[in-house]
Amino acid sequence: MTQGDVERFERVVLPYLDDAYTLARYLLRDEHDAQDVVQEASLRAFRYFDGYSGGDAKAWLLAIVRNCSLTWRHRHRADAHTVSFIDGVDSPADDGNEADTAAIESSERARVQRAIDALPAEFREVIVLREVQELSYKEISDVAGVPIGTVMSRLARARRRLAVLLGVDAQEAS
Amino acid sequence: MSDEKSDMPCDRYRDALDARLDGVLLPDEARDVDQHLATCASCAREYAMLSETQRLVSENLMRYAAPDVLKARIRGALSETVERTDSARTPRRAPVRRVPAWWRQLAAGIAIAAASSTLTYSALGTRAGSPSATDELLASHVRSLMPGHLTDVVSTNQHNVKPWFNGRVDMSPSVPGLDSAGFPLVGGRTDYVRGRAVPVVVYARRQHMINVYAWPEAGSASTPRSSTRNGYHFVTWRGDGVEYWAVSDLNTKELDEFVASFRTK
Repeated sequence: MTQGDVERFERVVLPYLDDAYTLARYLLRDEHDAQDVVQEASLRAFRYFDGYSGGDAKAWLLAIVRNCSLTWRHRHRADAHTVSFIDGVDSPADDGNEADTAAIESSERARVQRAIDALPAEFREVIVLREVQELSYKEISDVAGVPIGTVMSRLARARRRLAVLLGVDAQEAS
Repeated sequence: MSDEKSDMPCDRYRDALDARLDGVLLPDEARDVDQHLATCASCAREYAMLSETQRLVSENLMRYAAPDVLKARIRGALSETVERTDSARTPRRAPVRRVPAWWRQLAAGIAIAAASSTLTYSALGTRAGSPSATDELLASHVRSLMPGHLTDVVSTNQHNVKPWFNGRVDMSPSVPGLDSAGFPLVGGRTDYVRGRAVPVVVYARRQHMINVYAWPEAGSASTPRSSTRNGYHFVTWRGDGVEYWAVSDLNTKELDEFVASFRTK
């Protein structure tokens, strides 16, 4: 790796740092963990940068962030191995950051945030990749490392669960 | 074709509702779903529910900006990686060759600063015969930007940084929290300038680092004075028997803004 590699990396990959950080925030639900994971993922991305073929840099970086987040969760949670990923009962986000609290004070925003946080990690992941990152099914499939059919079924189940959590009434909505 | 459609169970369409919502169906597939929705109240309700859910989520989900401190940490770590890789590949080279090109340029900058210091000597009230405060601070600031030299204590929390100086320097520096002003705290370190160990508090704005030096200095309080050397900006002021120096490559407008925030906290 040379200084030229660093410059190319900063130009091609680092513009997606906000997206990387957003994904990590949702997957880990803690700003400090998210910062550590994004730093780790960025350095890993840099080490693998030779193997990056010049495709979608955003999806490529997000895939690395996603994998680092999973590793982080396993490493830092004593109970991680006893709770399966999809059925894991996740504790609500508990970062007491006042700025965040103020930012999500509007009730609708807080309601949505709580509903997302209450989703199992695999559902939360596809929702964030789709609704926040606006990735295509194919890109989500690349990032999450699952077939497109699995992406679609997770997305469908995640939305129906969110509808219940948010109390979106079919009558009311129609 | 249309006869066939009326026999289709709703399940077939249910599976297509999300795809319709995400706009990934081909035009004729989408038309097919829409025709079904127009005639099936149950599927239409479910579609309305899904699209209302999607609207709520996409309108209310937060998109976070990576903090400046994180960007600075990553850039710092990247440059260390380069340095390590260089040294791994060329283990027998002299140490100075391990330093990446842009650090060598900075080092050259220091040399130029030192060489030209005799010409700019009177700029900021220096003591004759000794290097000026700006010379020493420029060298210290540039050295601090080299990998691994910026902070001895890394914390974004002022209540961790301030006590860290106890017993390390003979004064307790101001460590105001300036997050709200857009200058996150990065950490602190001690450095040796003006013949003494001094506390240095480090803040960031985007990828620019701001080093704030402090040492006891008798004399009346003074308002900030600015100067520039080698593209680095210096602002110094005095208050409560302490002389402060803020040094950064940040533009002068934002550095003045920083100093104003620092002094009012």
